[in-house]
Amino acid sequence: MKSLAEVLRDNRAAVLASWRANLTASVDGLVGSEETIVNLYERLLDGFSRSLTNSLNDLSFGPISAYMAVLSSERARDGFSPSATSRLLAAFKAAVEPVLRAEYASDVDRWQQELRKVGEIVDQLSVLTFEAYMKAREEVIARQSHAMLEISTPALRIWEDIILMPLIGVIDTSRAQHVMEQLLLAISANEARVAILDVTGVPIIDTRVALHLTKVVQAARMLGAEIVVTGISPEAAQTLVRLDVDLSSIRTRGSLRAGFSEALRVLKRRVGTID
Amino acid sequence: MAADDIRLAIGIRVADDIVRARQAGRDAARTLGFSLTDQTRLATAISEITRNALHYGGGGQCEIKGGQVAGERLIDVVVTDAGPGIPDVAKAMTPGFSTGNSLGMGLSGASKLVDSLSVDTRPGMTQVAMRMHRRVVG
Repeated sequence: MKSLAEVLRDNRAAVLASWRANLTASVDGLVGSEETIVNLYERLLDGFSRSLTNSLNDLSFGPISAYMAVLSSERARDGFSPSATSRLLAAFKAAVEPVLRAEYASDVDRWQQELRKVGEIVDQLSVLTFEAYMKAREEVIARQSHAMLEISTPALRIWEDIILMPLIGVIDTSRAQHVMEQLLLAISANEARVAILDVTGVPIIDTRVALHLTKVVQAARMLGAEIVVTGISPEAAQTLVRLDVDLSSIRTRGSLRAGFSEALRVLKRRVGTID
Repeated sequence: MAADDIRLAIGIRVADDIVRARQAGRDAARTLGFSLTDQTRLATAISEITRNALHYGGGGQCEIKGGQVAGERLIDVVVTDAGPGIPDVAKAMTPGFSTGNSLGMGLSGASKLVDSLSVDTRPGMTQVAMRMHRRVVG
């Protein structure tokens, strides 16, 4: 009697054709390219012909596991759901079943055994598909939050010697560090004398944020720039007073407009109308 | 309305949880009709205390309970951690005192932001309970 691998090898054309047909009939149409199917088939065949156990951890299943992981994470990036990827495997299982039934018609035990083997490997590959998908998505999220960190703190030169940095969102330690670096770089690059730090978009100003603000102010002074903090809401002002946080060393203004006139005052400049 | 219309528990394990806890506190205060200033005060107090729980206590849990009883709306926030405990609570409550790299205003400040704050601490457990209550007008 032929081994499972031999059956798969001898019925290659038939299984591939039926696999393809299953995919075409499935809800989301053809979810794998011809090349993908052939590649998967080769690796599965290779795995089954050398494996000693029904576990994906068997070394012989290394190539198919690696291929599946890459395939799943690529498809995650292309916007496929992990279910679509695992349906690819389900379609394979469905295609193999009739071939096995015909081959092992005379030996029910053997038929059950080989069927279970295919089932177990396909199931484990499906789990792996989901894991790879999650991992790829998590990488996307991590990359996006890093990108957000980069774009969320622009330092804008709004007047000669004046730069503006609007802060939006939660100021945690890594953001505060980033803000500090960007602001100091901008101050030194533009030789700015006043930097306006607008905190309108910061939801909570607690002692931690206040500490970060104080440090930014100190560092900026070393570079010869004054910081004007604007956009502290009336609620935040009351809260800061209750907290006993002393921001008297920092120039603060309620609105960005008031902060800008304060900046001009520091520079002894005035904006006038044209006669 | 009963005393526990709102009942939430937020695990404090990473810095993001501080943000989740204070947002939950703010939402709870808003739902119960606290003023914008009170919402901000409560959120800031939760921010301070949960940060302490994470920084000094290695993480813990923040429970928020709120509701309306006998013409009063109130919110109770209990932050618990399993850290080493606070050796000298009176000292920790002194403005400007800090064993970490901070302004030392967290605990003392939080106690001024809410109506009452109590600290129960021993090695292996620190629990800070805060309460904010307002009489319902009209």
